[in-house]
This record gives sequence, C-alpha cells and structure tokens, in this order.
Amino acid sequence: MQPIVYTIEKPDIAKWLERLLETAEVIAPVAGYSGEVVFSAISSPAQVLWDFENPLHPAKQFVLPQTDPIVAIKRNGQRHEVEPIYDDSRRVLFNVRSCDVKGIAFLTRMQEMEPADGSYLRRAYSLTVISLTCNTPCPLGFCVCTDSGPFLNGDYDIQLTDLGGKYLAEVGSEKGEAAVSNAANLFRTATEGEVSLRKRLETAARNRFGQETCHFASAMRRISTGRVQDALWEKISDWCLECGGCSLICPTCYCFSVRDRARDGNWIRYRIWDSCQYTAFTLEASGHNPHEQRKDRIKRRFFHKVSAQYYMRDGTVGCVGCGRCIKVCLGTADMPAVVAAIRKGKWHE
Amino acid sequence: MLTVPTTCPFCACGCGFYLLANKGELVGVAPSETHPVSRGRLCARGWGAHEAPLWGTRLREPLVKRNGRLEPVSWAEALDHVTGRIKGLIEAGKSVGVLGSPRATNEENYLAGKLARAGLETNDVDFSYHSICRPLLAGLEEVTGEYGCSISLDDIELSETIVLIEGDLAKTHPRAAFSVMKAVEKGARLAAIGYARTQMARLSSLYLQTVPGGEGEVINGLLAGVLHASLEDRTSATAHCEGYEALRRDLTAVKATKEMHRAAEWIARAERATFLIPPTSAQGDQLRKDAAAFVTLAAITGHLGRPGSGLLMLLGRSNVRGACDMGVAPDRLPGYQPFYDGRAQQRLQGLWGKKLPSAQGLDAESLLQSVSGLIVLADDPPSVLPMRQQALAAMERMEYIVVLDAFVTPTVRAAHVALPIASFAETEGTLTSMEGRVQRVRAITDPPGEARTGWQVLAELCARFEVSASYSSATDVLREIAQAAPRYAGIGQQMLEEGWGGTLDEDFDTGKRVLHAAGVTAQTSPERPHLLAWDGVFDWGRDPLISFSPTLSRDYQSQRKLFPHGFVEMCPQDADELGMRPGWQVKLTSLRGAAVVPIQVRTDLTPGVLLVPYAFREHVAKVLGVERLTAVKAERA
Repeated sequence: MQPIVYTIEKPDIAKWLERLLETAEVIAPVAGYSGEVVFSAISSPAQVLWDFENPLHPAKQFVLPQTDPIVAIKRNGQRHEVEPIYDDSRRVLFNVRSCDVKGIAFLTRMQEMEPADGSYLRRAYSLTVISLTCNTPCPLGFCVCTDSGPFLNGDYDIQLTDLGGKYLAEVGSEKGEAAVSNAANLFRTATEGEVSLRKRLETAARNRFGQETCHFASAMRRISTGRVQDALWEKISDWCLECGGCSLICPTCYCFSVRDRARDGNWIRYRIWDSCQYTAFTLEASGHNPHEQRKDRIKRRFFHKVSAQYYMRDGTVGCVGCGRCIKVCLGTADMPAVVAAIRKGKWHE
Repeated sequence: MLTVPTTCPFCACGCGFYLLANKGELVGVAPSETHPVSRGRLCARGWGAHEAPLWGTRLREPLVKRNGRLEPVSWAEALDHVTGRIKGLIEAGKSVGVLGSPRATNEENYLAGKLARAGLETNDVDFSYHSICRPLLAGLEEVTGEYGCSISLDDIELSETIVLIEGDLAKTHPRAAFSVMKAVEKGARLAAIGYARTQMARLSSLYLQTVPGGEGEVINGLLAGVLHASLEDRTSATAHCEGYEALRRDLTAVKATKEMHRAAEWIARAERATFLIPPTSAQGDQLRKDAAAFVTLAAITGHLGRPGSGLLMLLGRSNVRGACDMGVAPDRLPGYQPFYDGRAQQRLQGLWGKKLPSAQGLDAESLLQSVSGLIVLADDPPSVLPMRQQALAAMERMEYIVVLDAFVTPTVRAAHVALPIASFAETEGTLTSMEGRVQRVRAITDPPGEARTGWQVLAELCARFEVSASYSSATDVLREIAQAAPRYAGIGQQMLEEGWGGTLDEDFDTGKRVLHAAGVTAQTSPERPHLLAWDGVFDWGRDPLISFSPTLSRDYQSQRKLFPHGFVEMCPQDADELGMRPGWQVKLTSLRGAAVVPIQVRTDLTPGVLLVPYAFREHVAKVLGVERLTAVKAERA
C-alpha cells in the first residue's frame, strides 16, 4: 500500500503506547542488566529506550523463538493424535531497527514458500512491527550495503523517524493503520516539509556510515561461478571455532532442528534453533555426513547467503547488515570479513 | 519472557550470558555484551547451555533403593534414611567419605566439605576430576607456592609470544582459543607443543611436534634453549629463584633443536608472554614435573609476576578452582590451606564449633576403594575417573551411597538414595573461573518436580549431623565462606558493586620460585612401537558438544550410537602400514593385555600415536590398565 504519513508529538508517544498495551503485548528495547540494551515485554511506556544501540540478541526471537513448541503428540488407544500448537497472541514489536524489520520480512517470505510453515506464520501475522529509523548508524552496521537501512521503503507496519520534537510515522500496512487508528486523536497528517525533512535525515544518515562495508556484488559474482578456491575456505575454517553464533544471531537465519519432550504421558515437539556450522547439522541417519569438514560448512553457509542462485530466489542477499555476527564471532570469520576474502581471494594476507 | 544473567557451567573460562525462560520453562540463551569475559561471544556449549537442564534426564523426586529399584519417597523419609544409615555406619566404626564436584557451586562444595569435616569428622573428601588436575596444580605450587593463575584471558590477546601445550584448545576452551587467535591475528608468535596438527597448531608460528607424554621433553628443550643461549632473565633467575644452578646442571646434557632455540628466543625477548597448560596425558607424577618445568620456563624468562605476562592453567570444568578453594580435597581446608595448618584449623574450629579431624584423608580414587559409605554431590566417578569399570565395581561393593544430583548419572543409578537438586539454571550460588573470577549463577526457573537447591539440602544434612548450618540464602553461605577462606573476604562486596561478580586477589609478585626441569621417561620400544593414549586434554574428549554426565547432550548420543564399539584414532601412514581402513578392527597389545577396537583415521595425528576418546576408554581398559598412556603393538585383527 501507498504509505500514509502522520506525525505524533513526542509527549503523546506514552499515551499511544498505553493504548497499544491495552490490546497487545508490547516488546521494545529496554535497559536490562548492567545497562545492556535488550528486547523485553514492557509494562510501562517509560521503559522504552529511544536512543540506543541495537540489542545483540535479534528481534527474530519473537517470530522464531530459540525453543518453540510446535506440535502436541497425544496417545489415543492404539493411535497417536498430532495437533499443531499455534501462538497467535497479539504482539507489538516497538522501536526495532530497520535491519530487524528486514530480517523478519525475509523470514516471513521464506516461511510463506510452499510448504508454508503455519506455526511461524500465525505468530508472524499477529505481530505488528513498529520501527525506528537510524538517524545515526550504529558503529558496526553496514545495512547500506544490503538495502536494509538505515531507513526503509517498506516491510514495516509503521516506521517512526525522530524529527526533533515529534516523530514521523509512516504507515506501511493495514496492521500499521490499525495501530494508528487505535489512537487517531494523537496523530495528524504530516506536512510536506516534515516528509522532506525525513528525506534529508535519511541522506545524512547514509553519509555517516562507519568502518564496516560489505561489497556483495563482486563477491556474488565469484561465489556464484565457482571461482572461490577450496584452499580459501580451508584457510577461513581455521579462523572459526564452530560456535554457531553467526547463524543463531543472524536475523535471516532460520534453520532448526526438532526435539520431543515427554510430558504427562504425551509429547511436545519443539522447534529449536540449529546452526549449519555444527558438525551434526547435516549428519544423516546412516552416519554419512555430506558436510563433515568445517570448510564445506562455511562454504555452504556463504553460498546460501551470498550466491546469485539464492539472490534470484530470495530477492536479496541473506544478510541485513546489522553487524551482529562481528560482535558474536568467536573467531574472525564474520560476514564482512568473509565477503572481503571471497572478493579478494585472500584471507589474512 | 524472563531474562536472567548467569555464568556458564561448562569449562573454566568463566563466560557469562543471559538465560531466557518463558512461562516457567527455559527457552534459550542470549549473549551479553557487558560480560567482562565473554563480551557477547559464546561457544557452542554456551549457546546450548539451556539445553542440559531442559532436555537432560533429570532427577525429579527423592528416591530410595528397594529390592534393587529406586522408588520415590518423600523428602523427610529420604533424609531420615540417609541420617540413620550414615550414622549407623559411623557407629559401626566404618568410614564414610564425601565427593564434591567442579560442576557444583562454591556454596554447595563448601557445605559438602563442612559436612565431611565437621559432621562426619573425616578428611576423606575430594572430587573425581581432582585426580586429573591435581598434578598440574601441584606442579604450579611447587614453583610458585601458589596454585592460581597470574593472568587473565585478555592478557593473552596482548601477548607477543604464546607458548601453548596443545591438547585441542579450540575444542576444550574455545574462549581461550579465541584470545590466542586474536593475538595471532595481531602478529603474536604462537609456539604449540602437541601431538596433533590441530587448529591451534595450524595457526601457530611454530609447531613443536611430540607424542603424548612427550611434552616434558620439549619443555626441557625450551629451557635448555634459554639457558644455553644465556637468554634467561638473570635478575629473576638468581635473585628470586631457588635451584638455578641445579637447573643449569640438569639441562647441560639436553639438546635443544633449532626450532626450540627459536622459540626460546621468542619467549625471552617478548615483553609480554603467556604460557598455557592443560592437564596432558602424562601420568600423575610426570604431569606434575612437566607443569613445574613449564612454570620454570616462565619464571627464568622473567614472565612470572610481570603485568600481562604469565601462566594460565586450562582447567576442564567450570568450578575446579572453586572446589579446591572450598577445601574439597583430602589434604586441604577452605582457602586451599594444608589440612595441618594450625591457623587455618583454628579459624575453622572457631567458625564451625567442632574439632577438625587430624588424619589426612584419601583422594577420590583411594576413597572409592576403601569407604563403606559415600555422600556424592553432583560428582560421577565412573564417567570422570580413568578407571570406569573399577569405579563402578567399587560403588557396587559399597554399603551405602547417597547422591545429590540434578541429572540421572551412572552414579545415581548405583546409589541407595538419590536426592534431586537444582541445576545451575535453578539455583543461586557462585563459580570460580580459572582466572579467579567469582561469578554468580542465578535461578531462572523452579527446579523440576520435588527437587530442591543443593545448598539447602546440604545445610539440612549438616544440621542432621549436629553442625550449625542455618542459612536463609546462598549469599549467607558465601558470607561464611569469606570467613573460612580469607581470599574470598572481599567478594561479597564486589558482587554488589560489579554485577557480574568479583575477582580473587592473586599474589604472584612476591615469593621465591623454586625451579625444576621436567622428568622424561621413554615409552615405546621396538616390540611395542605405537603409543596408545587417551585423549586426556579434556576428560570428555575433543567433541565440543559431548556430554560430561548427561548435562550436555546434543551430539553425544549420536557418537555413541555411531560407534557402539568405540574407536581409536590413527594417522593415515599408520593405517597404510597396517593395511587398514576406517572401521576395520585393530588388535592392540601392551604389557598388560590386549583389546580389539575399530579404527578411525585422522590426518593431523603424529605417526605412531593412537588416541582413544575419553568416552570410549573402557574399550581399551585391558590394554591401558591404570595408565593413561602405554606402548602397544598394533596389528590388523
């Protein structure tokens, strides 16, 4: 839909949040333990942070939890009954950053592909995403390289931009419209001047990016045409400690494993986060493992993330430039470092 | 969603993260950027830390063995049973021992020690993993008079030279491996001493290849390299060290290779150098000597006590350090003071209101063979001690075993009474990392079923054995620890101020060093040219996700299923010489006996070395006997 653009005065934000809290669980970045920024359900508007660096644990946990019950298996005489478990409680994700918005949109696109994942989709469709643009990019972010920030043109339900004394609120969906109409008296239609201020802020933010860059295009050419030497993957693999952090933390990674848990004579099947970087990820029942060597698993990961084959299918690279993998990598094999290595054909030289 | 900051329960690096719970159930782990050790970077174990309490086989209610079966009973009944039977044994003049655990908190270990010494009046208290790391600690103590570490993981990153006795650091202590990696990235020189070209060996500037048990020889070579080229720090070596002349004498005949000379020069010339040592596969006394020689290398090159330079012992469990500090050792009181130390005894007698036992106790291995009754806190001798079968047999012979554990272990199955306690995710307490950080674990969910927190159960047991133990929280126990082990005195306050935890004061600047060379014994012979060793760097093997007891379960099951007969690893050259392929059976014969096991081929292993993963050690028990490594003849079966 064509975005409808409103503004809301800063003092009115609390009233709006209170309205939202009446009908939904509101999750926002808050100050957690020892001042760390974390996503958490709020009980009062005052908890919400407005000037913050993106939490390390990604917002994808609210559509794809690390441990998620998906199926109940019940015994009924000689038979077993299998019932899906859905979570469609209404949630609002407030003040998420553009990269996480893109990440959730990416995951939803993947899960909508046939066969569609009902468990994921019911939860995602019940979620309203209200984002806050980044007037100042975060130090390690490189979302300009992945078309996922600092400002977005879509994929959000509402996108807020700090204009000084007020916020610009771009509504991008019916869910977003509903969240505004819930407190219609607090919003007014934005003026042309306000919209052009937002554009100027976006340009300014784009010009303010930090050290991290990630030139996907040339890396994509090389990896898609098999021009990355095996020896390079082998070198990179010595600088990875197989923690799996890069994929667990990645807003666009959605691989999972399942595990059953007995409860009162019945079972619950859980979906749990898994990482393609773990040895047993592709271990087959026969004992054969097509990706037994770490270099093969790293190659596989970056092929999925960066190759033209997947770009054509997914419409984007599998990265939103949030920079989280740089912070969690227990090694030196984060996305920008590996993309640079693919591009240059060199690693630590 | 509930978010609670806590400390990783696995290796001794002491990383921290948040546990996440939803509706009273654990759901995940979130990294923390503010944690001073991990800063948001976790290994696979840390990322999966919630899985153990969630998916592990948990003890849910007190159990008492009747007609060979463990049956549920009430807490009152179970505790009465324990009190009655243990008192009966003591009255009958039979001995009762206590095992603590490096995966239990300081508070739990402290109370286990108090129960043993003040309640049961015995020094027969230890923990199984101690048998693996004791020689290492003893070696360090022999040279420095201390057993702690003198540097932090961050110091590694700033080193110019790193000397690593390599088991497989990347797998055993990923957080430490990360620091080494960062240092190497910045240009540090890494000298790795090991028997497999592991990831760290591949990143090293110099790989000093040896065989299991041969580490001492290389250390002596490095010492000789330093002394022969007069690279030692004369001031440190003569003014602060004893035994300098003897060391020179011992090493006159030792030849250093060209590589050793090079490494010696790097060590001596570095402004900052770090020395990393895990328990190797060397035998007890030799490991002690190797460790002492390794510390000597740091001492004579002036790297002990210099800020940013020094030594780190790579301990295999989260709270080895804490268990030692709490006096869970037959010859040590809280504060790791010798059990005969008059002042320590007086302090404890004042605190506990009981006279302490005067005879030295037995270590875990001997204790299992001699006591009639055993109280076990979260320890699992058959899984941890080298001799799995012997430990199981010993426990079968015992008249009475009580186990406090969160998980169903082989020890729980052998017990007469099993008391369910909280896992790290359900209890309050502290763990002491190898750096000497005392950090909190915090409860995020309730313990399952009837389970109670370990410190509460132990306090109740203490009370039943007429030992004062009225605590209203784990913090109360920590307060008492501060009185019993003076080094912990400031910790409570630091906890309040710093959030994640406090750091013990290490005193490495003063005191005499006593220098030692390593003792070296030849292992192989023409009749038995191969060397069979267990992969002893980490008692749960190289697999980062393998379980130690059922506390970390992903992958472990699949390994067991895939290799029901276990395996030994050998290099391709050895396999070719024997005309063998992966999966084929090899017959191994030592002086003690023979066994037939399948092989796996591993390209990075030193020729002549056969490695058996710790989890599969029972398959070669007949060949190894009580040894950790032995010379064998290998032939196709």
